[in-house]
Amino acid sequence: MTKTNVTRRQMLKTAAAASLATTGPWWLVRGSHGARAKKLVFWQLPNFTPLADQLQKEQVYEFAKSAGLKESEVEYATVANEGFAEKLAAALEAGNPPDVARLYESNVQFYAAQGHLLDVTDLVDKMRREPKGIFDSSLTAVRYNGRAYGVPLAVNPWPVHARIDLLEQHKLDYPKTWDEFIETCRKIQSPPRLFGFGMCLGLVEDTTDNVMNLLWCYGGKMVEADNKTVVMNSPENAAGVKVIEAMFRTHKIIPQGTIGWDNSGNNKAYQSRQAAFVMNPTSIYAYLNQSDPDLQKRTGLFPVPAGPKGTVNLIDTWAFGAFKQNPYPELARGLISHFMQPANYDKIIQSTGGRWVPVYKRLFDSPFWKSKPEFKHFVGMAETGMPVSYAGSPTPAAGEVLNTHVIPKMIQRVLVDNWEPPRALEECHRRIEEVYARNLKL
Amino acid sequence: MPRTTSGTRRLFRWIGNGLLLVMLVWTLVPFYWMIATSLKADREIYGFEATLVPHHPTLAAYVRLFQQTPFLKYVRNSTIIAVSTTAVSLVFGCLGAYALARLRFRGRRLIARGLVFTYLVPPSLLFIPLFAMMSALSLADTHQGLILAYLGFTVPFCTWLLMGYFRSVPLELEEAALVDGCTRLGALIRVVLPMSLPALAVVAFFSFTQAWNEFLYANVFVNSVEVRTITTGLTMFIIEDVFFWGPMMGAAFLSALPPLVVYLIFQRWVVKGLTLGAVKG
Repeated sequence: MTKTNVTRRQMLKTAAAASLATTGPWWLVRGSHGARAKKLVFWQLPNFTPLADQLQKEQVYEFAKSAGLKESEVEYATVANEGFAEKLAAALEAGNPPDVARLYESNVQFYAAQGHLLDVTDLVDKMRREPKGIFDSSLTAVRYNGRAYGVPLAVNPWPVHARIDLLEQHKLDYPKTWDEFIETCRKIQSPPRLFGFGMCLGLVEDTTDNVMNLLWCYGGKMVEADNKTVVMNSPENAAGVKVIEAMFRTHKIIPQGTIGWDNSGNNKAYQSRQAAFVMNPTSIYAYLNQSDPDLQKRTGLFPVPAGPKGTVNLIDTWAFGAFKQNPYPELARGLISHFMQPANYDKIIQSTGGRWVPVYKRLFDSPFWKSKPEFKHFVGMAETGMPVSYAGSPTPAAGEVLNTHVIPKMIQRVLVDNWEPPRALEECHRRIEEVYARNLKL
Repeated sequence: MPRTTSGTRRLFRWIGNGLLLVMLVWTLVPFYWMIATSLKADREIYGFEATLVPHHPTLAAYVRLFQQTPFLKYVRNSTIIAVSTTAVSLVFGCLGAYALARLRFRGRRLIARGLVFTYLVPPSLLFIPLFAMMSALSLADTHQGLILAYLGFTVPFCTWLLMGYFRSVPLELEEAALVDGCTRLGALIRVVLPMSLPALAVVAFFSFTQAWNEFLYANVFVNSVEVRTITTGLTMFIIEDVFFWGPMMGAAFLSALPPLVVYLIFQRWVVKGLTLGAVKG
């Protein structure tokens, strides 16, 4: 056996080399933040209409020019929805996020809670001072601890997309209550080619949205306005769940396959004319606008039918967020201000053809919003709409409940595992409580 | 009993053919489905009944693909990145593998084992630190950055595979070349590489398909259309919760062709390379 002697000098050299090799990349990264050249980086999600994309891009360059930036100092990127979270996480870790990005409401709350977003309360206050102001419903999505960390870009209502041609064919009006809705569905459906209600019941976010929207009409809710007290296990929620169960099992107006749907399941059902009614954002309407104008003509957009506690409509909000890590916050704030100038903003909103509902109330005075009967209910929905976390705010805890599909699991307990609604709600209540308790500790 | 043997052989041949047919259908149906869907109108794609053959074939999806999207740019970028990754992987793989197989130096075994470990680290663990480095080096959103990132998993694999193959090349042939005046590099280029064509074909094919099909790094590292590859370009056909199946299937079908062409070119060597060492001759 040979004996190897390692000198202290050799040991130190090896240790130094190992330290340099393992930490070198991170030292490089540290240096990059301060060294970033003056540049305006904007991340946009793709729109349905090329015109909206084009206008948005023009406005970015327009602002950049007014701020004294060259074209080469602007980075306008269209980022796909798929993989957006990974991309943003990597950019934040690298200290190189976009200056401004379009964010969904739960993203605003999540990144605000993590301290990544700039406080833009002043920009939101300025918007509120515009004549008639903005819809308050859009503010819950961007407020965190009383301050605004995002600028509401658009209200995203979830109307019922309804086949008015089928209603006319059967000489029926759009149903005012859920009881009428069930009756209407039974009359107009002809399974398996056409089902009454394409309600999303898979283990996805749309299920939470669809289910909660119906439960609200029966007086149910997930959490109280204090964002602490979970109230999922209530008689009101149980009544609502029973209605869903009856629609699925007894009346058979919801196709059985819905329990396996993804978020696009209800879109596909409506687009393929296999469902007479679906509850969804107007992405379906925007798709029809582009790809199936015939079905668009036969489509009406309505508020959800009323339950014993009336009608409550779901809305969510898209927002612009500006990231703190970037060395030129004034550019980011300037860009958002430029977008949100009512004249610029109105152009983009109208170019989406009804996909986005404006946050400025006065923009509804434009002839555009009176041009189609489908838009008739948008003002009311924007005025009174609730986030999915109602009666609470869209906090990070609410976002976790949505993303971990706690409520879809509850409804599947009833529809797949044949649990009684109170038992399923009890389990769901416990899970939501755990989520809220954990988030309160953070 | 010759008759029985012949009958058994026939039976096995039938079973083999049957299995091959099943595998053929299994492989070709997705391709057929992509082509058929890309030739259907939206109304038919979303129709109540799934149709195997398009009722009213249309090229509308391809028109949209080529006229309204930067699909050709995506193809160009994927080609630049995949071809460059393949070329660099081959060069580094050959040099590295030769050194590890033939030269004697301290830490050789450690490096060889390290290669395997490097290859085993999942990309999902690496994309954030890699992106941090790319940003720091101003390589994010560039072809070079993506090529460098891909080399991180193609070079270890190529080196490892070639190392095993180079070891099977008789040392005497190289020694003869060295005696005749060749340098080490000369022996590698003139003797070892010509004898290793099957292995080179396998690593070239592997590198190309890995770089062509990769999604995560391409998604995280690239922002601009000028660098975006096909895999990430495909996701642009999903807007919110709506899928534009026609152009997406058309793009998916077209993007599957280059790896197929590469495979057909190298097919003879690839099959030989993949079966290396399966039997002793």
